[in-house]
Amino acid sequence: MSTDLDFIAEALPAFLSEAEEQIENLEALLLQLEHQPGDAELLNALFRCAHTVKGSAGLFGLDAVVDFTHHVETLLQRLREGQVQLTPALSTLLLRCNDQIRVLVSEAGGQAEDDEAVSVRAGLVAELQAAAGIEAAMPMSTAAGTEPVSAAPLRPWHVSVAFGPEVFRNGMDPLAVLNYVRGLGSMPHMVCDVDGIPPLDELDPENCHLAFIFSLVTEASRAQIEDAFSFVREDCQLHVLSPGSTPAQFADLIDAMPGNPRLGEILVTAGAISPAQLQQGLRSQQAAAALGEPALLGQLLTEQTGLAPQVVDAALRKQREQRRSDAAPTTPDDQRYIRVQAQRLDAVINLLGELVIAGAGAELLARQTGQRPLMEANGQISRLIEEIRNGTLQLRMVPIGETFARFRRVVRDTAAELGKSVQLDIVGGETELDKSVVERIADPLMHLVRNALDHGLESAEQREAAGKPAQGRLTLSAHHEAGSIVIRITDDGRGIQRRKVLERAWSRGLVEPGVVPEDAAILRLIFEPGFSTAEAVTNLSGRGVGMDVVRSNIEALRGSVLLDSVEGQGSCIEIRLPLTLAIIDGFLVGVGVSRFIFPLDAVVEVIEGSANDVTLDTRGRGVVELRGHVLPVVSLRTLYGIDGPAASRGSVVVLKAGHTRFGVLVDALLGQHQTVIKPLGRLLRSLRGMAGSSILGNGEVALIFDVPALSQLAAEPAPRKPATDPVAARAYL
Amino acid sequence: METLLLPSELSIYTAAELHPQWLAWADRSTGEPQAARADGAGVDQVDGAGVQLLVALQRCLAARGCTLQLQAPSGPLRDACAALGLAGWLTALQPANAEAA
Repeated sequence: MSTDLDFIAEALPAFLSEAEEQIENLEALLLQLEHQPGDAELLNALFRCAHTVKGSAGLFGLDAVVDFTHHVETLLQRLREGQVQLTPALSTLLLRCNDQIRVLVSEAGGQAEDDEAVSVRAGLVAELQAAAGIEAAMPMSTAAGTEPVSAAPLRPWHVSVAFGPEVFRNGMDPLAVLNYVRGLGSMPHMVCDVDGIPPLDELDPENCHLAFIFSLVTEASRAQIEDAFSFVREDCQLHVLSPGSTPAQFADLIDAMPGNPRLGEILVTAGAISPAQLQQGLRSQQAAAALGEPALLGQLLTEQTGLAPQVVDAALRKQREQRRSDAAPTTPDDQRYIRVQAQRLDAVINLLGELVIAGAGAELLARQTGQRPLMEANGQISRLIEEIRNGTLQLRMVPIGETFARFRRVVRDTAAELGKSVQLDIVGGETELDKSVVERIADPLMHLVRNALDHGLESAEQREAAGKPAQGRLTLSAHHEAGSIVIRITDDGRGIQRRKVLERAWSRGLVEPGVVPEDAAILRLIFEPGFSTAEAVTNLSGRGVGMDVVRSNIEALRGSVLLDSVEGQGSCIEIRLPLTLAIIDGFLVGVGVSRFIFPLDAVVEVIEGSANDVTLDTRGRGVVELRGHVLPVVSLRTLYGIDGPAASRGSVVVLKAGHTRFGVLVDALLGQHQTVIKPLGRLLRSLRGMAGSSILGNGEVALIFDVPALSQLAAEPAPRKPATDPVAARAYL
Repeated sequence: METLLLPSELSIYTAAELHPQWLAWADRSTGEPQAARADGAGVDQVDGAGVQLLVALQRCLAARGCTLQLQAPSGPLRDACAALGLAGWLTALQPANAEAA
């Protein structure tokens, strides 16, 4: 038997994740607000987020959250009503308070806090109250759109509201909302858009199609009027037009009106004319029609009442739009989302992996029987499995923009800390990648961004001295390329100083002192462990644990990282990651009795039967000519010390890793193969060049190549002892 | 001609149930020479969804060339319609006025 406490315990994770979202939202909105300080929509949205968090926290009895958020809400309310102005200091305070809310939520219902945490929070509350309170004591500032708060006179407002389809399902009743609004004053004119309600045979009774236009005479402020709709705010289109609006504003209101009210009604409820004038106009129209001289209502009204033509035009435009859209089919609802537990999705994907393997097994057996119908049926099944596979993997894709957006805050705070002015551009935020990859790439990206801010970008004075604009630019970009996602972090700072890097490498013994390797090699040195050229180790970066950890994190995701830089102009770090970790399209080859798989998107082309064109040295390396270019080739047999008779007509598979191309010599080409990646066991993990293993249809195990690692292995200079000991290799395999 | 008796609860809680019943009544009533008649005396609880359903009924009949007459609307029903700006609409449906409209 479950009790209320059980229910709360079960519902708490949902609250935590939704509160997290609201808090993320709050931060994004606060950052936006800094660029658009007076924006009413932003302020309203901010207030609603805080209000929602406070309300939900209250349901769970999280008093600390409720109390603290209430103070934030108070300040946001003052901002909304224009009684307080947003300053950079205030913005920073709000951001810190949002962090505090995040901390409080994550501790939800946990242990009692220590004294330090409590006093930190008390300090923030004092600051919040000061910011909200002091302004109120000063004379009212006249920011745009503020209304005087004391001794408020009654004023007529015009409100148009279209309740969205989900309002009933969300437990709200427009009748109750409007009754509440009526309590703020009086509603001399109220019109319901009856034509917006479908006839009974087309109606879904639980969808809400109610829309209203009315005038409201009240002494309440705009914020209070909008607040009356706060419970349905997310589900409706609300327009509140303040008194004394110009014809242009009326025209705008009419443009934004819901449904298809009749022209006269539009004008009356917009307060442009009175009901009596409308009646007069209608009678004149009927009279004119009877005389065989049809007159436009709008024209008549203009003549009779002096109504601004602009307003009439807007109303007529609205009518025409409505008629046209009535003829056209209605557009579908906005995309709907369902919340799914990540574990369940992973379980489905695992099963899918097993299905792929089982399907391959069945196809193999079918081929052996030689029966056409059976083979075709299996072919059909394989095609369907592939479609399901693609669809399911899509489910795990999330846009990288969500991760990029988190960096806005980091850049803002870090730049401020360092006293630098930096503009962050985000390109390609809608590029999608697998959720688990996103989670694991966030930390490396963070480090790279901090690096760029700390070391890459110069201070404003240094930039101006160098003839650059004082504000530095940092760009985060992402796009898809051949089955991978390419993420770039570009800055226009001072670039990598080759001299400094060399000196550090010499002093650390990474390179023989005095030896100057080629440029690309110098840049690669930065990724060596323990390397850092920062004179002062700041608390941001420069501790020397950075770049090599970044690289190994990225390589653990089967990705690669490349650094490009021009001294004085800037640097670009390019990260390539596979789109998915679980199932890939592979190309199967055979060497001796062993089977290997290359990720298909790394395979450029295949030169069949060309093995004899390649002369190999003792280490199995050679070159082959490909359309006028020289291609380095390595023999897998020699590289891994594989036994067995050599094939008479081996082939060369041309692979690409980043910007390099190379070839591998294999015995047999066995075609495309949908590959479910299984991790390598502990024994095999040290086997270089391998990313995983897979089970073939016939039950054999094939090793999957990590092509970038393989290219490095193939390019290595000769070691003092053989790269692989044939005996040891056999023991592994 | 059968008169549609509006239920005592005309709200989101009953709307889904009433929908097919009213549709069936509308089908039966269309084509009758006299107007389709409904009685609102029994309505006790009403909300936005309920009024919406009623409007939808009227529009459905109108589209089929049939006039809806709503006699004796109860106090709660009249109040709800007034609150939603439909006082005039409701009055126009009442039998004495229907002929004039």
